[in-house]
Amino acid sequence: MKGKTEDIATLVELFRSSGWDEMHVEIDGVQLFLSTDPNARLDDGSLPRSAPEVRAAPVVAASTATVSAAAVSAAAPAPAAAAAQEVPAHWIAVSAPNLGTFYRSPKPGAPPFVEVGMRVEAATDVCLLEVMKLFTTVKAGHGGTVRRVCVNDADMVEHGQTLFYIDPS
Amino acid sequence: MPIKRLFVANRGEIAVRIIRTAKALGIETVLGVSAADRGSLGAEMASRTVVLGPAPSAKSYLDVNLIVHAAKATGCDALHPGYGFLSEKPVLSKMCAEEGIIFVGPRAETIESLGDKLGGRAMARAAGVQTVPGTDHIATLEDAKQAASQLGYPVVMKASAGGGGRGMFKAEDEAALDASFERASREALAAFGDSRLYMERFVTRARHVEVQILGDGEGKVIHFGERDCTVQRRYQKLIEEAPATAVPEATRRRLHDAAVRLTSHARYRNAGTVEFLYDVDRDDFYFIEVNSRIQVEHPVSEETTGEDLIAWQLRVAAGEGLHLEQEQIKVTGHAIEIRVNAEDPSNDYAPSPGRITDWAPPTGVGIRLDTHARAGYLVPPFYDSMIGKLIVRGADRAEALDRLQAAIAEFRLVGPKTTLPLAAFVVAHPDFRANRITTRWLEDLGPFNAAREV
Repeated sequence: MKGKTEDIATLVELFRSSGWDEMHVEIDGVQLFLSTDPNARLDDGSLPRSAPEVRAAPVVAASTATVSAAAVSAAAPAPAAAAAQEVPAHWIAVSAPNLGTFYRSPKPGAPPFVEVGMRVEAATDVCLLEVMKLFTTVKAGHGGTVRRVCVNDADMVEHGQTLFYIDPS
Repeated sequence: MPIKRLFVANRGEIAVRIIRTAKALGIETVLGVSAADRGSLGAEMASRTVVLGPAPSAKSYLDVNLIVHAAKATGCDALHPGYGFLSEKPVLSKMCAEEGIIFVGPRAETIESLGDKLGGRAMARAAGVQTVPGTDHIATLEDAKQAASQLGYPVVMKASAGGGGRGMFKAEDEAALDASFERASREALAAFGDSRLYMERFVTRARHVEVQILGDGEGKVIHFGERDCTVQRRYQKLIEEAPATAVPEATRRRLHDAAVRLTSHARYRNAGTVEFLYDVDRDDFYFIEVNSRIQVEHPVSEETTGEDLIAWQLRVAAGEGLHLEQEQIKVTGHAIEIRVNAEDPSNDYAPSPGRITDWAPPTGVGIRLDTHARAGYLVPPFYDSMIGKLIVRGADRAEALDRLQAAIAEFRLVGPKTTLPLAAFVVAHPDFRANRITTRWLEDLGPFNAAREV
C-alpha cells in the first residue's frame, strides 16, 4: 500500500498544477476522482442499486487545502452474508477483473486454491473465473492472510466485485 | 416463445430506448455495462444491471464471450445488440443460437453475407436490384471509350487491385479519358503491381437514401418508407429525415420495391436498412449495402409511421410472426432527426467529453428526444460521442424545420461542446431549406465556424 499512497500523492500534485477541473483514474481496481468542485461526485454517486455497496479495498482519502479529492474504491456487490459483516480498514480486497463464473478449485472435486487463514503471496492463484468455457486464474495481488471468501463457488461475479479479503499485517 | 427476460448488449441512448419498449411489453431487462456506465440512466431503468468489465470497450461491450456469458448467467432468453459494438458481428448471432438465446436480429449467415460488400452486391444483382453501373476489366483505350459512352460521362476508372479511394481516375469526357487512361494503367501497375482497370459511372450529385424494412425470415418483408441522410461528414450522418421529399414519389416507390425484393430474396429476419445512392441528375438509384441491425436514425421512421420498430423487432424475434401488412403502414407528416454529439464542430469535430452542468432540453408538440443524458451526466471519453438525438415532427417538411429550429434554440446544454450550433446552421441554411444538397454539400462548405451560426 505504501507505493500506492505515494502514487496518489503524486497524482494529486500533478492535478493541482494542471489547471484541470476534474481527473478520474483507475489503476488495479482503485479509482481516484479529483475535482476542484467541492460538490462533485464520481458518476453522481449512483452505483448499482441491486447490491449494497461494500467497503472494499483500503480507501485512501487524499485532500489538500485547494483540492477536494476523494478516492473511491471499486464499488462491488457482494453476498448479503458478507455485506453484513464489518471489514477492518486495513484488509485488502481481491476483486474480479471481469464478469464471470467464480470457482474456488482448479477442477471439480479438487481442494480450493485457498482457505481462510492461509498465507498467500501476491502471485498466489486464489480462484478461477470462467467466461464461456474459458478459464482464467485470479492472483491474490498482495501478500498476507486470507481473511474472508466473499463468493460462493460457481456463482456469477461482476467486474469489480470483491472475491476475497486479505489481511496484509 | 414469448421473451421473458432480455439482455441489452449496448449502452447510451439505444440501451435506454430498448429498455423502455421492453418494459412496455412486460419484458424484464438485464443491462450489461462497463464500469464507466454503472451509474448510467440505462442502468437505473433496467430490471437488473451487471458490470461486465472495465471501461474500455474491448474488455466490456466488444467482448462477445463476456456478453453471452452474462446473458446466460442472468437467465436471459433473448439478447438485443442495439447498433454499433457487436450488432453486426455474425459471431454474436451464432453464439446466441448455439446457447439457445433468441438473437434480436438476423441469422449469422445473413449478417455475414450482407456484411461483405461484394456479397451484398452479388445478392442485389441476384434479386434484380441495380448497383452502380460499371464494367469488367478494360484492356485498351478503345474498350474504355466504348464502355464510357455506354455508361455516360463522367466515369471513374479504378484499379482492380486498388481500394480505399486509391488508384481512381475520374474522366469528365472523351478527351479526358484519352489523356488519363494510360496514366491510370501505369499508376495501377506501380501502386498495386497490377495494371488492370475497370470503370464505373461517376455520380456527381448524390443523395443518400435508405429504406427501413422488417422481415419474418421466411421471405415476407414489410417496409416503413425511406429516409434521407444526405447531410454527412466523412460518411458520418448528422441529420436524417423522412420522407425523402427531394426524390420523386414514383422513384421512391421503386426504391421501396427494390429494398423489399432484395431482403425478401435474402429471407431477411428482423429489422434492417437497405442503403442506396440516389443520382440526382439521372433520377436513378444504386444499391450500396444492407445494415443488418436497428439504425441510429430509426426514430424518423417511427415518427412518420406511428410504429414502434423496437417492439416489432422483439415480436418478430419471439417468433410471433410478422402480423402486419404493407397497406397498414401509412407515412404521414415529416420528421427530422439531428444528432447531438459531444464534439466541437468549430475545431474539426474534436471529441469533447465532460460533465453536463446544465441541461434543459426542449419540449412541446412534435418534439422527441432519445437520450441517456441528464444534468450532471459525465460524457465518458471511452465511447462514441453521441449525447442524444432530437427528433421533430411536423405536418410537412417546412413545419418540421420550423419546429426543429425553435427546438434547437431552446435546447440548453452546458458542459461539453456539441454539434447543436452546426445543426442550427444547417437547418437555417437556404440550401437545406430548399433541399438542394448532396452528400458532399457540408464538406464543400469548408470548416465550420461557430461564428457563422445563423
